[in-house]
Amino acid sequence: MRQYELMVILDPDLEERTVAPSLDQFLTVITKDGGSVDKVDIWGRRRLAHEISKKSDGIYAVIEMQAEPDTVKELDRQLNLTEAVLRTKVVRRDGK
Amino acid sequence: MAKPPLRKPKKKVCQFCKKNPQTIDYKDTTLLRKFVSDRGKIRARRVTGNCTQHQRDIAMAIKNSREMALMPYSSTAR
Repeated sequence: MRQYELMVILDPDLEERTVAPSLDQFLTVITKDGGSVDKVDIWGRRRLAHEISKKSDGIYAVIEMQAEPDTVKELDRQLNLTEAVLRTKVVRRDGK
Repeated sequence: MAKPPLRKPKKKVCQFCKKNPQTIDYKDTTLLRKFVSDRGKIRARRVTGNCTQHQRDIAMAIKNSREMALMPYSSTAR
């Protein structure tokens, strides 16, 4: 089990209040495989420093969690398949 | 023959080594902004005075932060 921090940038056209439920839905993969989600921090709409797929805004969210490496890989794969997700980044919180 | 004036280099101490418990995080853009030029380029170690390890940490953090569009790859100031 390792500690991870995941940052996602979501499509700005999404309704702000639908963000939390849809994130929860993604994160069920983590809880189902025995991991735990420690903190979900939704930064809200922010201006991007440069365009990502022709969008100049994005909804940022930072998630802290504990999970197995394979589970995180699966979550990242699923996020990348989703069109509402512009970009993701997974960083290890412990050590390094 | 005029000798070039000797310039005495000021030895800077890496600011992250001085105060130990400071982690470099890619989300902390206010900190990272100090290490880029006004065009968005990463400042050299010569300029920042960081040690090898911390300069690398800073550079990695800036690059991560660029990927997440928190910092610009280049800004067309000027």
